Amino acid sequence: MPRNMDSSDSLRAEPKTWSSRSVGGSLQHRIFYRLIRFGGRKAAYGLLFFVALYYTLFRPSISRKADPYLERRFKRAGFFKKRLNRFRIYVNFGKGLVDKAVVGILGPEEIRVSFDDQEELLHLVRRGKGLIILTAHVGCWQAAMAVLHFLERPVSLLLHREEGDVDLQYYEHQGGPPPFRIIDPRGYLGGVLEMWEVLKKGEVLCIMGDRVLGEEKNTVPVRFLGDWVRLPISPFKLAGAAGVPIAVLFSCKKGADGYRLFLERVIRVPEERGRGNSAFIPYAEAFAQALERYVREYPYEFYNFYDLWAEAQTEKATPGRKVDS
Amino acid sequence: MTLKERLKQVIVEGLNLEEIRPEDIEDEAPLFGDGLGLDSLDAVELVVLLEKHFGVEVKNMDEGRAAFQSINTLVKFMEERGAR
Repeated sequence: MPRNMDSSDSLRAEPKTWSSRSVGGSLQHRIFYRLIRFGGRKAAYGLLFFVALYYTLFRPSISRKADPYLERRFKRAGFFKKRLNRFRIYVNFGKGLVDKAVVGILGPEEIRVSFDDQEELLHLVRRGKGLIILTAHVGCWQAAMAVLHFLERPVSLLLHREEGDVDLQYYEHQGGPPPFRIIDPRGYLGGVLEMWEVLKKGEVLCIMGDRVLGEEKNTVPVRFLGDWVRLPISPFKLAGAAGVPIAVLFSCKKGADGYRLFLERVIRVPEERGRGNSAFIPYAEAFAQALERYVREYPYEFYNFYDLWAEAQTEKATPGRKVDS
Repeated sequence: MTLKERLKQVIVEGLNLEEIRPEDIEDEAPLFGDGLGLDSLDAVELVVLLEKHFGVEVKNMDEGRAAFQSINTLVKFMEERGAR
């Protein structure tokens, strides 16, 4: 059931070259959901193995979506290793989707989530000035969202979903309301005023830092896995304006039935930092470095199946170019 | 200098709008999109500028949505909030 995982970020959602819509059809998803209900997680993993194998062998146009990342992460991979890498990343991605559905269908107790840095995150929130949690399309961010209730503050998530997306979020399986507020980046001014309101109330705002939905002029070029990519500056601009810290939070698979959530680093953006987008490059770089450390350690848990590098390579981005537009 | 003139000056200087003079900004033109051409991230800066220069807080989305239509709506909002 591979899909281009749902997104977030940036401040105006006019997606052009990527889609959050599931690759698998509605029937495929329903089969998995039924299997989870009656056979449990392991049965779904079993079917997933064959589905991932099918996509790897017979649907190269889909399985190659991971290639821009895999080619940079595994530069020396030969013919067979490339295919094996694709298979491994899609199996892991599928496991994340299965686990998300398991939480929704069988209950959160079916998946263990450990959090190494709970106290540190609580400390950041208890300052009372709001907090941005910056994450990426890695691990299982839904697992992270499911346990953030310990923060004792309302949590909002910038989330874009396309019509026709048949993959359900975990809370949708029970038909209940989401445990967090969803801010749609297609809303007025890209949801920026809603995000501002969240931060001003001292609440928690979650944003995906590895995808741009809006205008390219609100991005900066940074190095990721040896090549240039453009990352959005919106989280850093919001953090500087609101005077809130950014917690870079990632999750990774831990054992057969669990996830580990960890605070990779805290980024602080000073309120006075000069004008222009280039003032945000150091913070976007800090995030890119954190993400790179993650993929070095967990190479098969990066699920941003969008060619992050394409645009920046085309324009041969260098720092300072198209930055202060 | 009137509140409207000060606001236009703060917008031009604060948002670093090159090739636009305060007097070029039309009172009724949309601030975002086709009019003045500001984007969503400029809205963040604008909220901060209002607080810093005029002591006016935009507390929620509904307030902002109504206020950010044009210079005239923004000035009206600021006056209602007792802009300094």
